Amino acid sequence: MSEGRLTRSQRAALARLADALIAEGHGMPAASTVGVPGELIDRCLEAAPVLAAPLGALLDELAGDAPDTFARRLAADRPDDFAVLSTAVVGAYYLSPEVRHLIGYPGQQPNPLSVAAEPDYLEMLERVCERHPGYREAP
Amino acid sequence: MPAAPAAGDGSVADVLIVGSGAAGSVAAARLAGAGCRVVCLEQGDWAHTADYMSATPEAELAWVQRWNPDPNVRRDPADYPLTGDADIRPVMYNGVGGGLVQWAAMWQPLLASDFRVRSLDGVADDWPIGWTDLAAPYAAVAHDMSVSGLAGDPALPDMEAYPNPPAPIGKIGEVAARGMDRLGWHWWPGANAIASRRHGALQACQRRGTCMTGCPENAKATPSLTHWPAALAAGARLETGARVAEIPLDERGRAVGAVYLDREGVERLQRARVVILAANAVGSARLLLLSTSARSPDGLANSSGLVGRRLMQHPYLTVTAVCEERLDSWEGPWGQSIYSLEFAETRPDRDFVRGAKWMVMPHGGPLFAVSEFHDAHHQEGFDALWGENFHRAAAEVFGHAFTWGVQAEDLPEEHNRVVLDPEVCDSSGLPAARIEYRLSENSRRMLDCNGERAVEAAEAAGATSTLVRRLWPTGVGHVLGTTRMGDDPATSVVDRWCRAHDVANLYVIDGGVFVTAGSANPTATIMANARRVADHVLRRRAAPEVPR
Repeated sequence: MSEGRLTRSQRAALARLADALIAEGHGMPAASTVGVPGELIDRCLEAAPVLAAPLGALLDELAGDAPDTFARRLAADRPDDFAVLSTAVVGAYYLSPEVRHLIGYPGQQPNPLSVAAEPDYLEMLERVCERHPGYREAP
Repeated sequence: MPAAPAAGDGSVADVLIVGSGAAGSVAAARLAGAGCRVVCLEQGDWAHTADYMSATPEAELAWVQRWNPDPNVRRDPADYPLTGDADIRPVMYNGVGGGLVQWAAMWQPLLASDFRVRSLDGVADDWPIGWTDLAAPYAAVAHDMSVSGLAGDPALPDMEAYPNPPAPIGKIGEVAARGMDRLGWHWWPGANAIASRRHGALQACQRRGTCMTGCPENAKATPSLTHWPAALAAGARLETGARVAEIPLDERGRAVGAVYLDREGVERLQRARVVILAANAVGSARLLLLSTSARSPDGLANSSGLVGRRLMQHPYLTVTAVCEERLDSWEGPWGQSIYSLEFAETRPDRDFVRGAKWMVMPHGGPLFAVSEFHDAHHQEGFDALWGENFHRAAAEVFGHAFTWGVQAEDLPEEHNRVVLDPEVCDSSGLPAARIEYRLSENSRRMLDCNGERAVEAAEAAGATSTLVRRLWPTGVGHVLGTTRMGDDPATSVVDRWCRAHDVANLYVIDGGVFVTAGSANPTATIMANARRVADHVLRRRAAPEVPR
């Protein structure tokens, strides 16, 4: 894994911590297996650089702690720090093409709209007009 | 003794406008088009389509920082801090186009009753103008903004047809509308300043659903597309990176122009015959409060003591309906698919007055789906949301949900206000805006009642579960009321033409002039009113007694 916004040791810590948040299950892969500690976290931090420094500090802090215990402690006692960690990990995870494919998400892609001459809802709209008393007049 | 500010470009503008957003751009285009020499000072910069992250795979991450609507999160050098412990903290964008860079483009005229709240419901105040005063300007600005929508809503006065047909309401709108139909409640296809077909300066919407982080297709109306090209072509000068620090007065008590700090921090003076503030209800109030002198020690145009006071926002809650069927609810447009005015008027059987407007919106991508699911289920603990169970959120919610946004009318209260922060400053050393705002009991009751009704609407639409956010702590970008208009100088800041009672050549034309908030998204009214006032300035300019 390359250096960059995170050091090699920070990436190793991220791999352990990310899997504590996003484990394999329900037919979905764990965070580390789709590359969250590598290219995906780099892209995430490039998009949201405000996360980089506090995330790096958290990863340094993990040291030899059990990642699950560390993550639980953050979630319970340090919600702002946990928000940094979870936003970075979840944000990176959903950049994975494999993950997107599995949940059926193509991304925010262009998809031209077509305007129907007579939308299907017109019958319902007629009922709105029939039952509505009219707008409230103002003096 | 401080040095006198350097001259801007040495010229005297016919009209100087502070702020290039919804109101300022309308005034600039109208006045420059009529031959006025217009200068606009804008503290931010241009937001170019290429700057948006909306067409990248990282689009959802734009919310985290760069395109977050909260200036305190975004921390762009052009932003000024918003301080204070407010129940709702305003959001805004500071740059060319103002809030219309990041808006959802929902286009909603006020109700006729919104102008007569005191007469009809015995609270707050009546506006000095009525719906008919804005009818023609509403139509004009709807055309300029390439609005797509369907006229004929019985809850509103008769209106001209919108220039474009409504966008399809999509799967989310169809499901939500069926629920409203079952309940017998009002709904209508949403009007949005998003082109459903190529129109004016806009391309047809491509449904990316990234409206609020900048439309990469140029399909959403924003002043850099809809108004500034015409204004600049007519000779207007738009000075970016210009942070206005003060509106100085001459010996007769007339506005001289504006003192501003340029990109290098050099203090400059732009002279003008008429000054128009259009910096939003926080920014304009802040500027007036900054502009103290021996003549106006409590701030400019503030003999009433109301500058900064009566701040109204739109307290906002959301009910997300989670459905069995796949709704592809990350798809746009992120305007209003449908809206409802069922609960927008006062009802005798309620313990509050006035009402709320509802609108159906998409639910976004997986990052947002997980975030909202976790917020709603946080009490279930770590194991329920993380580890193997992390995938619950995407499986249950992502692509299967739509959101009813509920926007409550806020009534004006003088203790809700904008003041100058005594300690915190912006990047130019000017005092930040401190927001003092408490949610009223009327608004709280209105939110509670409408939240319950919105859950009913979600269930009637077939929702198997709902995710409810009872009050969004950051607002929806609707800041209103801090320089209210009125006929009495003792109880208002500007007159019915939005001219300051205290300063004959000073106007305020942003949402600060709203007397009451209504429940409608305010942009249509802000732009229509700016158009109305610009026409008035032109008429006065033609009159012999008016300084030119």
